[in-house]
Formats: sequence, C-alpha cells, structure tokens
Amino acid sequence: MNGWSHWLVLRPLALALLPLALLPWFVSARRVSDWPWLGGVPSDPGSAWLDRLLRLLASTAIVALVLALAGPALHGQQIERISTGARVALVIDRSGSMNSTFAGRAPDGGEESKASAARRLLKDFVARREHDRVGIVAFSTSPMFVLPMTDRREAVLAAIDAIDQPGLAYTDVARGLAMAFDLFDRRDPAAPQAIVLVSDGAAVIDRRVQEKLRAAFASRALHLYWLFLRTERSGGLFDLPADPSDDTPQRMPERHLHRFFQSLGVPYRAFEADNATELAAAVAAIDQAERGEVRWFEAVPQRDLSAYAFAVAALACALLAAAKAAEVRIGPPLPEPPR
Amino acid sequence: MTALRDARFWLLVAAGLLALAGIADPQVGYRRQRIDALFIVDITGSMNVRDYRRDGTPESRLDHVKATLAALIADLPCGSRAGIGLFAERRPFLLVAPVETCANFAPLAGTLERLDWRMAWEGDSHVATGLYQSIALAAAFGTDLVFLSDGQEAPPLHWSGPPPFEGEPGKVRGLLVGVGDRLPSPIPKFDRDGREIGFLGAGDVVQENRSGTPPPDAQQREGWHPRNAPWGAATAAGEEHLSAVHEDHLQRLAAATGLGYARLAPGLRLDRAIATHATPRVADARLALAPLLAGAALAAVIAALVPRPRRSAGRPRRPDTHPSFPLPHRRTP
Repeated sequence: MNGWSHWLVLRPLALALLPLALLPWFVSARRVSDWPWLGGVPSDPGSAWLDRLLRLLASTAIVALVLALAGPALHGQQIERISTGARVALVIDRSGSMNSTFAGRAPDGGEESKASAARRLLKDFVARREHDRVGIVAFSTSPMFVLPMTDRREAVLAAIDAIDQPGLAYTDVARGLAMAFDLFDRRDPAAPQAIVLVSDGAAVIDRRVQEKLRAAFASRALHLYWLFLRTERSGGLFDLPADPSDDTPQRMPERHLHRFFQSLGVPYRAFEADNATELAAAVAAIDQAERGEVRWFEAVPQRDLSAYAFAVAALACALLAAAKAAEVRIGPPLPEPPR
Repeated sequence: MTALRDARFWLLVAAGLLALAGIADPQVGYRRQRIDALFIVDITGSMNVRDYRRDGTPESRLDHVKATLAALIADLPCGSRAGIGLFAERRPFLLVAPVETCANFAPLAGTLERLDWRMAWEGDSHVATGLYQSIALAAAFGTDLVFLSDGQEAPPLHWSGPPPFEGEPGKVRGLLVGVGDRLPSPIPKFDRDGREIGFLGAGDVVQENRSGTPPPDAQQREGWHPRNAPWGAATAAGEEHLSAVHEDHLQRLAAATGLGYARLAPGLRLDRAIATHATPRVADARLALAPLLAGAALAAVIAALVPRPRRSAGRPRRPDTHPSFPLPHRRTP
C-alpha cells in the first residue's frame, strides 16, 4: 500500500509559495555592523555553521508556515469492522387501509393507526440495530423505490417517518417484493439478508409473477418475514375456511400468499399482529433472529495536521527571535543619520 | 537591549506568536442561509418528454430534474434539510421526510436516482390540486416547498380554470419550478409492460374537459344541442398530446399560492432561485482562522528578512562601510 495515498493538501495552491524558503539564503534578518573588511579576521568555522544554522532555521519557519497555510491532512478512511447485524429490506404497504386502526376505524385520539404503530416500532427497531444496512421499498398500486440500502440512520428514520402519510388504493405485494431484490448489493454476499414485509392485506399474485418471485428467492440466501397487521374481522394467515370451496386465492388472499411464501423454500416466518403490542413482539423476534456477522465500515474522519506545521514554525520563529535578541554590535556605532 | 528597538525582532516574535495561536486551530462562527425544503417531483406521463439536452443527447424532463436536484442537494450548506416526494394523479406521495442533507446525501441521491414514471399509481395529472396538497404537506413538516412540474393538466382543466386555493397564500414559502421547453414536443407512449412504443397521438388523450357545465360559447359550436350535444357535435381537437411547459398556468398558481416561479431553463441558478423565495433560515458555519494566521506569520517572517530601504533616502550612500547585509565569513588568501 502506498504510504502517500492517505495524505492530502486542503489548499494546494498555497504550495506555490514554497520557493520562498530559499529567501534566507540570499538575505538575512541580522543586524548590520560597520566593519569595513573581514579579510583580516581569521576564518571561524563556528560562525560559519551558526550562520548556516540561522538561515536553515528561517527556511524551516517559512516551509512550515507555507505547509500550515496549505493545510496538510490525512484522508478520512473507512476501517472495516465485523459486528452483528443484517442487511434488511423493508417492504412497506402504503395502501390506504394502513391509515386506519387495527379495529378498522379511522384513528381517533385513543388509538393509533396501523401505519403509525408500524412507523413507531420500525423506527425503534432501526435505532436499536446500529450496524444494519436498511433499504426501503413501498408498494401500493405500484411499487416505489424509497431508499437504497444504506447505513445512514437518519435517512432511514426519515423514510420510515413518511409511512404514516396517507396511502394509496391497492396492495400489490408481488411487485413490491420484486423491487426489494434490487436493494441487495452483490458486494457482500455473505452478510445475512432479510426481507421484512409489512402489510395489512394481500392480493392475488399472478402465476407468471409467482414464478419470477420463486426464481428471485432461489437466487440468493435470505430470510423472509411477514408482519401481517390484521384488521378486526378480516381474514388471517392461519385461518381455515369454514367452507372448503372458499379456499381460493381470491377469497382468502392472505392465507394463500402465506402458503406461497411457505412453498418458496427460504427461511420464512409470519407474524400476525392484531394490535401494537403483538406487533412490538414480532419486531422484537425479528431483532433477535437477525443477528449474523456483518462487515461494516467505520468512518474515520479526515485529520487536519496543520497544528504540527504550526508547532514547528512557532519553534523556529522563537529560536530566530532569540538569536535576534542575542545580537551584539561589534565595532564602532553607526553614524547617526543627519537631522 | 538593542533588540527591543529592532523591528525585525518584533516581527519574528509576532510570527512566533501567530504560529503558536495556529496550533490551537481557532475558529469563528458565522451564519449562512440554509434551505429546509420538501422537493416534490412531478412524475406523470408528460415528464417523459425529451426536451432537454445533456452532452448533446436528448434528456427527458424527469431525468433532467433528477440530475438537477441531486446536484442542488449536494451543494446545499450543511444543516440544510431536504425531503423527497413525488406527484401523480392529484396528490403528492412522500418518500423520505425532510432530513439533513450533508450526512444523508448518498441515500437521498439514491432515492432521486430511482424516481420513475412507473411509480405513478394513475395516469391523471391534476397539477393544481397536487400543488395545493403539497403545500399542506410542507406545512405539516414546517418546511418550504419546491414543486417541479411541467404544468400539463391531464385531463385538461375545465374551462372555468383550476380549483381555487383554499389555504393561506404565502404561509408556506417556496418555489414552483416550471419544467420543459416552451415549444411543444410529442409525449412518449409506453405499452403495459413499460416499453416505449412511439408517441401519443391526438386520439390517445382527452383533448377537452367535458365534465361539469359547458363553456358559455358552446352554443356557437357546430351541432350544438342543449341536451344531446351541449359541447357541440364535433370531437374535441387540441394539442393535449403535445407538451410544452404551461408557464401561464404555473405562474397563476404561483401567484395564487404565494410561491415564487422559475422555469428550469439551462442557465437557471436553481439554488439562488430557491434561496430568494425560501424562508430565511440560518445555519451555523465555522470559519477556520488557521490559514489566515499562517499567512500573517509567513508575511511577518518574510518582512523580517527582506532588506529595508534606507531610513533617509537623501543621505549619501556609503557602500563600503554600510553593507545592507553581512558579508559571509571568508578566508582571504
């Protein structure tokens, strides 16, 4: 690895001032003495070295200050770490019925809507799980790509915040699920991946679409969860029809979607929640189960190194000022300028 | 002590002190305007019209808006917030609630990147109603609104004009951005699997809004009959299958709702247009003084080095006895 690749300069134009460092080798800050000729003085290697040292100090001060002006820094880095977590694709129902309560009524003061219960609990879930990457797809009449898989908590929370806004008409689960596969990237295939479907209803899935979904699920290892928010007096996932002739996808779409998921051959769990407490329990169960080993990257922010340049410059300037203070005049005083 | 009377000594001391101050990295706070806005993007069919150009190739209105917004959000000062929603049919649909833009730029850009006309749940485009509801949505989040649309109503507006705005004009501030060229262009047509199959023809769209009461001049139309043909006998003709930015309509809407208006023309500085019409909000920014200190210290050191001009220019120069800088120690043969 190239050791220089971590370095950067914040204001590179300032480096154009570096040639100023040669200035001390042409001029000096030292006092001028009236000494007509030095030819008669024996050479003094000590003085010669002191002269060079003082010029070198001045050069050092200039180089250090130019560097401080340019702003040397170490690049921000991504340090890879291993922790527990998962890649979670949230597939969220935004149909209008999500805005009513579990009892199927418009929410009033006492009871929250299914969407706001889901919003609250999903936000808790995301906030608890530090090292997950979460992506979001919403679906109703059409699937909507909401948020790419990201580790930016705030953005995920903001996208979940949007789910109790008024929803749309239908519940097209299949196309929402299909879009969820776009969320997973191929870079980290070993990480545990989960699709969490949050919906309060289901729809008949076209046989052609069923085959496509089946192929998609077969193509990668992931877990599927269905958080089914059941409205009072509506069909459940595990209900058996009283009349066997009612056992059709059209009559009981939820039960049949559940059976379709079971037939996929992926680890699948369904949670039926009649109220917010049961929903919270379901979310906690997913939280417990999805604890695999994931790679994540800790961002190390860029580090400004100007302080070191300033320190060197301060030291050099202090020594130069000290040398200046130690100067003595040799020889007769300079004549006063005529008044 | 002679050094105390020497300006060069003091210059070196000053440089040393400035450098010493630089180690602490002092900063001053200042304020700059930040934007706090909900961006609602029209994704209805007419936004697929390709009347923008990027690098010489045609670009659809929607793609142009996506690229423009991504660049805009990237440049917003830290502390700004942006929410993203889309508009179709007659209402906005919120995707991401307003969130800080610097830390969350990557996911926001990903959301913008995937905006697609296929997300529309219906083909209608009631721009006025959608705008009014977007204003209500922005009010609920306490942000400004940036609504980007070509203003093409589908079906066309009733002759009596758009529905009235019932909110308080100017309560929510922001910008209505007209998207598209002033010259009409054909609208791409897609089959049910989303493949492009040419352009909409005159017969593919509703050319006249024939709901409600007929216009007062309907009686002059060919074949008019009060009961059987209140809108005249002829099928409506029009240019609704072509699309240009409907600036008059958008400007009227902007005036009615108290928003600003700007057309997304190639030279438009959208950030400035938004800032002009946005609620003034300030973000705390910090200015590092380190470069300033380094520059001043450098100037002091250089000033201490350069030979000074003579104190009195009129005095005759005595080059032999008064050299301007010391001669190096040199052994003479």
